[in-house]
Amino acid sequence: MSNSGLSAGDAQLMNAVAEAEAESARHGQDLTPGQWAKKNLFDGVLNSIFTLVFGSIALVTIWFGARWFIDSDWEIVRANLRLFMVGQFPRDDLFRLWVSGYIVVFMGGFVAGAMAHNAQDLADMQGVEYERATWGSLLRRFWTIIAIIIFFVSFARTALPYIGVAGGMVLAVGSRELGWRAPAAVRARSVYIGAALFIISMMVLAGTSRLGGFALGAVALAWVASETGKRDLPGGGAGMVQRWAPAILVAVVVFVVTVLLPYDGYGWEDWGGLHITLFTTVFGIGMGMPIGILLALGRRSDLPVLKTASVIFIEFIRGVPLISLLLFSNLMLPLFLPGDRPADLTLAVIVITGFSAAYIAEIVRGGLQAVPKGQTEAAQASGMSAGAVQRLIVLPQALRAVIPAMVGQFISLFKDTSLLSIIGILEFLRVSDVANAQPDFVGKGLAPVTYVFVALGYAAFAYTLSKESRRLETRLGVGVR
Amino acid sequence: MITALLWLLAIAAVGTVIYVVGRLLWDIFQLIAERRRGAEDAELPPLWRDVKVIGIGAQIAALVLIGLIGSYLWGNFTDRADQIGLDLSFDFLDQPGGITIADNPLSANDTVAEAITAGFFNTIRIILLGIPAAVILGTLVGVARLSNNWVLRKLATGFVEFIRNTPPLVVIIFVWRVVFLEGFPRAQEAWKPLGEWFIFNNSRFAFPSLEGQDNFGAFQVVVLVGLAAAAGVGYWRTQVFNNTGTPHRRVLWGLGTLVSICLLGYIALGGPVAMSKPMLDEAGRVYTGGVRMQMPYAALTFALILYTSSHIAEIVRGSILAVHKGQVEAANALALSGFQRYRFVVLPQAMRVAFPPLINQFLNFSKNSSLAIAIGFAETTSIINNLFGQSQPAPQLLLILMLLYLALSLVLSLIGNVINSRLQIVGR
Repeated sequence: MSNSGLSAGDAQLMNAVAEAEAESARHGQDLTPGQWAKKNLFDGVLNSIFTLVFGSIALVTIWFGARWFIDSDWEIVRANLRLFMVGQFPRDDLFRLWVSGYIVVFMGGFVAGAMAHNAQDLADMQGVEYERATWGSLLRRFWTIIAIIIFFVSFARTALPYIGVAGGMVLAVGSRELGWRAPAAVRARSVYIGAALFIISMMVLAGTSRLGGFALGAVALAWVASETGKRDLPGGGAGMVQRWAPAILVAVVVFVVTVLLPYDGYGWEDWGGLHITLFTTVFGIGMGMPIGILLALGRRSDLPVLKTASVIFIEFIRGVPLISLLLFSNLMLPLFLPGDRPADLTLAVIVITGFSAAYIAEIVRGGLQAVPKGQTEAAQASGMSAGAVQRLIVLPQALRAVIPAMVGQFISLFKDTSLLSIIGILEFLRVSDVANAQPDFVGKGLAPVTYVFVALGYAAFAYTLSKESRRLETRLGVGVR
Repeated sequence: MITALLWLLAIAAVGTVIYVVGRLLWDIFQLIAERRRGAEDAELPPLWRDVKVIGIGAQIAALVLIGLIGSYLWGNFTDRADQIGLDLSFDFLDQPGGITIADNPLSANDTVAEAITAGFFNTIRIILLGIPAAVILGTLVGVARLSNNWVLRKLATGFVEFIRNTPPLVVIIFVWRVVFLEGFPRAQEAWKPLGEWFIFNNSRFAFPSLEGQDNFGAFQVVVLVGLAAAAGVGYWRTQVFNNTGTPHRRVLWGLGTLVSICLLGYIALGGPVAMSKPMLDEAGRVYTGGVRMQMPYAALTFALILYTSSHIAEIVRGSILAVHKGQVEAANALALSGFQRYRFVVLPQAMRVAFPPLINQFLNFSKNSSLAIAIGFAETTSIINNLFGQSQPAPQLLLILMLLYLALSLVLSLIGNVINSRLQIVGR
């Protein structure tokens, strides 16, 4: 439950921080070690005292931390590594997780490579300088996640996870290269290909018979993707066929696979651990985004009914703590729904979708307010319909401005999914309670070990994401100009 | 308090419906009148191209849709409630709640409403202690991140980046289970620095406190007089400063007045207050005297202070950086000292930038206090969770829970907005 909305003050803050960081990066490069120490450590009496006091605090902390790290009994993590990562996913079907994970990694790498190349093409076209990310810079950006994955894998007792993770890293590198080298037409549709890959990975996990809803989701995603693809296509516009063909294709494929293949996997009631944490976050943001955009538009509308309804929904959700909403999902939501009680996670995901929609609505509203009024007026003057003004003129500018805040919301939701443990869903944090209650480990005071493991996991992912969001901020120049 | 809130909700709901339907009807009447007038001049677009008609049609459609979905869900709900025999009245609020809270006069015979109210006061206790402490710690850390000193800077950065990126729930559980439960000794081996005055063990902390003796009522009057006198002196010094420009030092003057009046009163009334020392029973539990702080309360507040201060540190750092460089240079050119530069030039401007995001953090703090449910500190959420366990009706209790937090958020953001509007530059 953190940063919400993008007020003018926030943008001002972020901008100031970015400038100061650039400034400090420029300075202090050509100092000898002696000069550097004089300037940064012993500049005056007070400064020297600070250095000594806080330096010794830091050293003591590091010393005891390292000692604790080495002396602790990590057997509890070793024995429960699978529980931490994927919960109680059936052991014989673990291949599904690996395959779907590989598909997602491939999707990420491919889309990232293709988008980077697209960005370079665009920069070339506009005559702007484009700095291509090197492998070194990528390593610098993502070292925390790589380190934490290696840390996680180091607890494995068999060779399989090592091989699997190594394969995944090779795949990430290879797919990025593949995305970079793909032909322009493929690159222009990379988002759409990514969405399709994501759905396929879900089907590998959950089978087909549980996927009625995904068929619908696929149509929506493919539509969004084909819109994106259309804008990025060389030459600009595209005909009706080009716009709708991919969407229809995906819908048909998903429908056929769903109906014809009696292929049964494991729905999310069988998932758990870090997997469910990541999945809930992605799902909450992904589903919350369209609803949130609609709510933001509704809140800015002149029509009293739409405006009041949006305001009540947004302010209500933002005014109460997430845990009360989760209690609602657990105790009350089943009473409102017909039929048998759905899985706990289904109920929770419904609520989390609404929750993130309300926060995203406020972020998007900030972006909408940042679009100058002249843009709307110019669009109207050129005879666009109200829908076209929003879709083609206002929303693209507004959404571009709020990408960093959206990443912030993603981080925040990622952290908030830990609350699912309170309503008894076996996600990343709750595994540590479960592990500490096992007969082998109960009452041995191993809580610190598991909590440190969990905290490091959360912190590493969130840290990388927050650094990425700050990077995007500078790249997009939000708040500048 | 709870019944009042429920009435407020009912009034707000009815008011909203009346407003929405009324606006809609008013718009429809106006539209009809306009089209009648227009029909005579025959210059209106056809019905299906008229923006106003489309707008009203869309709104009616939205209302109907909301109504249909709502009545469908409500129908499901009442059917289920009938099936499982759920009582949807609010009579249970006056039944005995069966909730007891450690170190609280609440007994099991007290009503549900009283139990919830006691929990809500505990929520407020967390907020009252936590928010100021988080602001102070956050400011210190934020300034430390801007320090020239490399060690201090890196230490503060590490703290902020690690705590900020860890879920608050993990911070709370870690502080509770690891730092407090394992870090502090058991009750029998309580840790007592400074003799018996401060007692720390893993079930509660105890501090000395002030306790009223004879003449305590009279002393309270003296303190009030002292406060009034201090305010008067402060006002007078401000006037002197405004008229003559001599340094006002109103804080010093005010404090001096207050302390001397209180001291005189204390001596004259023969020691109306005395220090109260926490006393131990044979089992080593603190049972009387002093201020006793429940362990879950201390753990929760401490963890939330840590978490929130890491966010506040970022806000403080950003807002100080946002003050234009020219301002600092101008202050230097006026030969202000380092402290004066901060006090009169940088901080007032930084505060203006920092305050709106700070309000957000205060709201987050109050909402995050509901995570007490994970460690069992008896504030609003965990008391209501306990009431669920005693088969009290969930729908009404959840409604009350959400209403209490809504009211809290509303009040906090109102206070924040009032302060904010006073901070911002007036005019323009």
